[in-house]
Amino acid sequence: MSDSVRSDTAPGAGSASRRSMAVCAVIGAAVMASVDEIVFHQILGWHHFYDRSTSGVGLLSDGLLHTAELLALVAGFFLYADLRRRRALASAHAWSGFFLGLGAFQLFDGIVDHKLLRLHQIRYGVDVTPYDWAWNIAGLVLLLIGVILALRAARRGGAGPAS
Amino acid sequence: MTLAHVHPGPATGPGTGQLLTIVAALLVAVAYLLAAGRLRRRGDAWPRWRDVSFTAGGVGTAWASGGIVPGGPFTGHMIQHLVVGMAAPLPFVVARPLTLALRALRPGRARRRLLVLARSRPVGWLVLPPLAALLDVGGLWLLYRTDLFATMRHQPLLHGVVHAHMLAAGLAFTFAMCQLDPVRRRWSVAVRGATLLAAGAAHAVLAKTLYASPPPGTDFTPADLHSGAQWMYYGGDVVDAALAVVLGVGWYTAGGRARAPRTRRGAAPTGSKQRLTSAAGALGDRRQGASTVTSAICSTRWRRPPGASGGPPFAASSACSPCTRRPRRR
Repeated sequence: MSDSVRSDTAPGAGSASRRSMAVCAVIGAAVMASVDEIVFHQILGWHHFYDRSTSGVGLLSDGLLHTAELLALVAGFFLYADLRRRRALASAHAWSGFFLGLGAFQLFDGIVDHKLLRLHQIRYGVDVTPYDWAWNIAGLVLLLIGVILALRAARRGGAGPAS
Repeated sequence: MTLAHVHPGPATGPGTGQLLTIVAALLVAVAYLLAAGRLRRRGDAWPRWRDVSFTAGGVGTAWASGGIVPGGPFTGHMIQHLVVGMAAPLPFVVARPLTLALRALRPGRARRRLLVLARSRPVGWLVLPPLAALLDVGGLWLLYRTDLFATMRHQPLLHGVVHAHMLAAGLAFTFAMCQLDPVRRRWSVAVRGATLLAAGAAHAVLAKTLYASPPPGTDFTPADLHSGAQWMYYGGDVVDAALAVVLGVGWYTAGGRARAPRTRRGAAPTGSKQRLTSAAGALGDRRQGASTVTSAICSTRWRRPPGASGGPPFAASSACSPCTRRPRRR
């Protein structure tokens, strides 16, 4: 990673915008994961810490994902700071990346974690179907916003570094 | 609360091993403060926050080793080991004790030996990131998923050994992750980040399994087990995030250092040279491109003419460790 920092002080517009998008997608996914953790696990208490219906593989993937989110949040912050320092932040691409990250994580969590791996459900003691729909549609909407922003950013002609 | 009655080492307060840990932790903190004071008296800069950090590590270790922690027996045990094995090592390590020792010791046999030890192969293995992680988290899996935990509760000696292992393995792991002191070889951010991810995941999975089932041969109440497991899970998160911040700061400042010479040369050669020299004198700022000012740092840092009393530090080893190696992070 430090190589890329050293090599491109004045990167091409394309690589700068791609990098902005990727970095902010990482931040977006990590932010959504934190929102999930803070709002649904801690504040509302809807999600269960561990509902015992999880397989070993599910538990392992949950542990990996949870730690990855945490590290991604920190790493994303430093990568973002580095982009700003190098004046290589393409803000239109950055916003699209952020929403893509939010939406992608929300959908992933709703489909893979809740349904395929059955780590935990959104809420217990109620019919979970409407919650699942709301959860995944919210994810899809966020993802679509990201896609639209990405298209707009691309149409503006790659919109080089302009923070 | 009344943890002393139920904590491992039946019906006693802290055992001998724990008392030793308490005394050692406090002694080490005092030694650190004395060494930092020595540096400052001779005119070297050594940030005050490092004193605070190291002392906090010492006090934290001593407090947790005393066994006076809140919660039920399992929760109490978990908080204790969270502090001793994960939280306290971090302030110890970010205070760069090895660098301080190398700089505070007078030139001579003791410092040479310390440097040889720090550069030795066994220590290199010990702070190899994946291996350090295995020793640390692997030890936890052994403790909680075999009969070790139940056995330990009735054998004070074994409990002391486990306690000491947690502290030592935690220190080695944190040291390997942060990589602030000069050792045999350095590892990239990628290697350390991947190790941190794997170790954090193994820790989180272990915490979740503890939530569901207690260590073999124990009978903690479910409420106690649940709160202990959650302490482990979220406490581990906090320390993981803190370690990631240390890694990130290192990566970010390394990037800044790599960019710095170019901008400086471009901007104002005379002014920047002045800045470099003054910084080398103050020794506070390690962000300078070290290679260009090596001689300046060496001569001012040690404030001793090369001929007198043993010459420049680390003359024993061919390298003048803190300055001639790759530029170090902040």
